[in-house]
Amino acid sequence: MALPSSYLLRETGGNLARNIVMTVAAVVTMAVSLTALGGVLIMRQAVNKATVQYQGGVELDIFLNPNASAQEVNGIRQELVSMTPTQIKKCSYVDKTAAFTEFRQMFSGQPDMLKVMTPSRMPTSFRCVPAKAQNVGQLAAEFSKQPGVYNVGYPGQEIKQWLAHFATLRNVTLVVAGGVMIGAIALVVNTIQLAIFARRREVAVMKLVGATNWFIRVPFMLEGLVEGLVGAAVAFVITFTARNTFASFTGTNPLLPSEPLNVSSHEALLTGVLVVVVGAAVGALGSAFAVRRHLSV
Amino acid sequence: MIRFDHVHKTYKGSVVALKDVTVDIKRGEFVFVVGPSGSGKTTFLSLVTKEERADSGEIWVAGKEVGSLPPWKVPYLRRNIGCIFQDFRLLPERTVYDNVAFALEVTGRPRHFVRSQVPQILELVGLGNKMGRRPGELSGGEQQRVAVARAFVNRPLILLADEPTGNLDPATTAGIMRLLERINQYGTTVVMATHHQEIVDAMRKRVIELDHGVVVRDQARGVYGMVGA
Repeated sequence: MALPSSYLLRETGGNLARNIVMTVAAVVTMAVSLTALGGVLIMRQAVNKATVQYQGGVELDIFLNPNASAQEVNGIRQELVSMTPTQIKKCSYVDKTAAFTEFRQMFSGQPDMLKVMTPSRMPTSFRCVPAKAQNVGQLAAEFSKQPGVYNVGYPGQEIKQWLAHFATLRNVTLVVAGGVMIGAIALVVNTIQLAIFARRREVAVMKLVGATNWFIRVPFMLEGLVEGLVGAAVAFVITFTARNTFASFTGTNPLLPSEPLNVSSHEALLTGVLVVVVGAAVGALGSAFAVRRHLSV
Repeated sequence: MIRFDHVHKTYKGSVVALKDVTVDIKRGEFVFVVGPSGSGKTTFLSLVTKEERADSGEIWVAGKEVGSLPPWKVPYLRRNIGCIFQDFRLLPERTVYDNVAFALEVTGRPRHFVRSQVPQILELVGLGNKMGRRPGELSGGEQQRVAVARAFVNRPLILLADEPTGNLDPATTAGIMRLLERINQYGTTVVMATHHQEIVDAMRKRVIELDHGVVVRDQARGVYGMVGA
């Protein structure tokens, strides 16, 4: 027998309104746990992307002394050529003009920095991609000793540190999300139990006059589903907003490795959908557990 | 219509509620179940609706063996049985109309059917002019009439009444009994558990007397106490 929608709407809405305090508590807990889950999932995507980037192409910047002689520069160039392609995949020379153009792009939001810098003050460098990413540290150590070299930089160290921090943060958040999720399920179960208790007379009359189990149970199950969905919707908005804020923050801050840690809107949207599905499932399962335990013919 | 065949029922703590009960109630009968408190009257009625399960023996209701009925079929069994109680069991926040309509709605009856049946049944019980009232605004007798209307609105084959006049004065009791008799005349089998000696003696219907869970008397056109006792 199909349940009439007017009955379902009336009963589910009535239950939610009657238990408003517990309903709000369940929704808030659900929203918090699902936000944590959404955050973890987005962080996971960011870290995975960063790891791929890190493994796929680490760059090595060999900055030259401003007063390095042409002979020293040529010596470095020849050594780099001799190492290609066994140790070095590719290499390019970044002159003062190119370096200044890059600098302007990087600090486009900071006019004070742009004012004090001129092309003649920019260091020249060789920008190389090692054949094997894991050898980048060894190559850096080797070239930093060469005459005419001012400094050798590679982003691997920073990224490694970032990845380590993010991995720790991700694991901690995952544990917290799991804990809060269990709390959310318990709250949904408790809310539904209270709703069943508040309507025990009505439920007794329903049984008496021959209502089926589903007729009695479905409004309570929908109540849990609605709580899960509303909590998930809140979590979805928070997660999506947080992702946008994070993206704009890393995008404008030259000190952060913005590109690798960026998660696209599309990916964030998929994560949001997953969060909503989990919320609905948690709400429905919690209420199903409660009605199964407390409502039977 | 209702047949108990060597039925035993014991509650936790070894309290014997019914002991080897065998009775056969035919379609359209009006039966009083009498006996002192704790004699097993309410258990007898609860076994018919499968609110309780028998420990042994067979119970047949409307052609179905209740013990072997799977749980999902129990609601359909109950739709053939109307129930009324001493404490009415009405929903206080719903109107008289809604209390009766509720019994039809939960069985999935269409709205137009509900709209046509509820006023009709409320007229039958004499409450056609009080459909918009809530139970709290009615007298005890009127509340019991609402309960009777709710029990009868599905036109059940059986009407079970557990001390329906326990909270009512003699005049109101007489009104309720007239109503039950009328419902019985429509063909519904009525089984009523009661302590009310006057009405049993006045109506002279079949009487089943229980004592400590045992049927000690099953008498056609009987009275409350043993004739000549």
